[in-house]
Amino acid sequence: MSELWQALAQGVLIGSTYGLLALGMGLVYGVSGIVNFAHGDFISLAMFMCLALFSAFSLDPYVSALITIPVMMAIGALVYRLLLRPMIGYKFLMVVQLTLGLSLVLQNGILMIFGGQPARTPSVVESKLIILGEVVLRLPHLIACVVAFVMAIGLYIMLRSTDFGRSIRAVHQNAHAAALMGVDVGRVQVMTFAMGLGILAVAAALLLPGTPIQPSQGLQYTVITLLVVVLGGMTNFVGIMLGGLVIGISEALGTVYVSDTLGRLVPYAIFVLIMLFRPQGLSWRAS
Amino acid sequence: MIKDDFFKTLGSPWLWGIVVLAALSPLVLTSYHMHILTIALVYVALASAWNIVGGMSGQISLAHSLFIGTGAMLSSALLVKLGINMWAGLVISAVVAGMLGAIIAWIDFRFQLGHLSFVLITLAFGEMAGIVVEGWDFLGGASGLLLPRDVGNILQFQFGGGRGAFWVMLGLATFIVLVNVAILNSPLGYYLRTIRDNERAAQAIGVNVLRHKTIAMVISAVLTSIVGTAYVRYLTFADPYLLASPVITIEIVLFATVGGLGRAYGPALGALLLVPLGELLRGKLGGAVPGLHYFIYGIVVIVVILATPSGLLPLLEKIIWRRRAKGLSHDGEQFGGRRGQ
Repeated sequence: MSELWQALAQGVLIGSTYGLLALGMGLVYGVSGIVNFAHGDFISLAMFMCLALFSAFSLDPYVSALITIPVMMAIGALVYRLLLRPMIGYKFLMVVQLTLGLSLVLQNGILMIFGGQPARTPSVVESKLIILGEVVLRLPHLIACVVAFVMAIGLYIMLRSTDFGRSIRAVHQNAHAAALMGVDVGRVQVMTFAMGLGILAVAAALLLPGTPIQPSQGLQYTVITLLVVVLGGMTNFVGIMLGGLVIGISEALGTVYVSDTLGRLVPYAIFVLIMLFRPQGLSWRAS
Repeated sequence: MIKDDFFKTLGSPWLWGIVVLAALSPLVLTSYHMHILTIALVYVALASAWNIVGGMSGQISLAHSLFIGTGAMLSSALLVKLGINMWAGLVISAVVAGMLGAIIAWIDFRFQLGHLSFVLITLAFGEMAGIVVEGWDFLGGASGLLLPRDVGNILQFQFGGGRGAFWVMLGLATFIVLVNVAILNSPLGYYLRTIRDNERAAQAIGVNVLRHKTIAMVISAVLTSIVGTAYVRYLTFADPYLLASPVITIEIVLFATVGGLGRAYGPALGALLLVPLGELLRGKLGGAVPGLHYFIYGIVVIVVILATPSGLLPLLEKIIWRRRAKGLSHDGEQFGGRRGQ
């Protein structure tokens, strides 16, 4: 029984960070219809920037995030302006291809600079444990969960009640009508993409303590993020956070109860089943 | 049934001239360059087989590593673990791959998957296939399978390495490109393109969507599996991280797109340009700076997609067409109605 609680707790903690990763992708998809297959490699990029900052100035990942967030946002704005904007109007597949090419560039750029050995970025809180009855939680996971939910709620409030949030929702609902109402659609799209990468920089810092990183991990993160976004019904905020929890918990349960390698199948199997039988995602409201 | 254009291609001196010239190239090339050409032909074959589904019927399948893996890992496992002749292994794997393809096509139809859902579900299948191979010792597990040495016994599906493998790959690649030409010029090709351009309209005018999508997917899966078997025989090592990981599918899709999706020769062109580029860069720079060749390769892909989103082949055709149009301006219409799209 304690195994079950342990797995559930672990799944919720990790899953909330997956949810946060996916929020970035869902926002971008909602506003510009782009599914970014380089998403995971941008996470890598943010993580390796933290590693570099640690090696150079021995900064804790949580502190580095203050630097990586604006840098990633700037990179996001540039990438959107130079690479993705020109592709709007082409087939969906072409954008996918372009981001796959971008993923090759990022992954191997990182490989060229940092080498292929798995690396770790230590943090002061890394080895701290919190024991609740039979369940042992690692402090970094707890921090990640709390920050992820705070960020998610913050984003939700931002979308609900700020002008920028309203313009994002307007573009999501009907870009043409939004443009007619005086919303600068191009600007909203650039800002959203930049914001997506900013969120990703936060998630990267949250995932980093205690996790070994290597340049080839990008695709796995991309796939996990995609799973979560699709489970959440692409643009549904609550659905995406819920999807993150489902994937996190199923991953944790899979590794506890099924043998390790086959346990990794569980999230994919759940994903395929949900895709087939509930294609609109987990949320019960039509989005 | 099949339009004359196919037989024109089949009788074209150009085609056979290029094939014969390529077949003679082992006489002059070093073994290193032969290796690069062989790998390029593997990808020509794979990208062309993928094109039947991804290009013609517009289903962006990322599950093709499943079929490559079936052809490569299953036939190797049958040989190494059970001692089954690799020719039989090739047939068994091809049948299994065909069935998997039919299942995927059925799922796609039964659940009316949209484009994005299809991409994601097939990606999930590809990932799952990789995990299954890694976790199942019969298929070699994470450490892969080492095939017996290739001593050139054709009865054992051995072609004597180097040259023999090159000729086999050349034959396979040519065959699959011709299959592409044949399908494009047959009713199936027209049905597939109708389905790609508007599935509902196709259904409304009486095209049997399930049937044609299934046929396309099965042909593609069987061909891909056969190439997988030949490829693993050439490599003599069944590496799950190469042959059963979605990365290989992504590479194939990139080649096909860079060359020109849905065209008979597009994917072949993409693979013939990009694979040697990647391999040569790896040979020259890979040792000094790991990852540099893929880095440059990624930039090439991005630049090509930004500059000519429909691929290099249409761009080439446009250039040639303009040249000819300058010469015979009245003849322009004929070239305007290009074949194969």
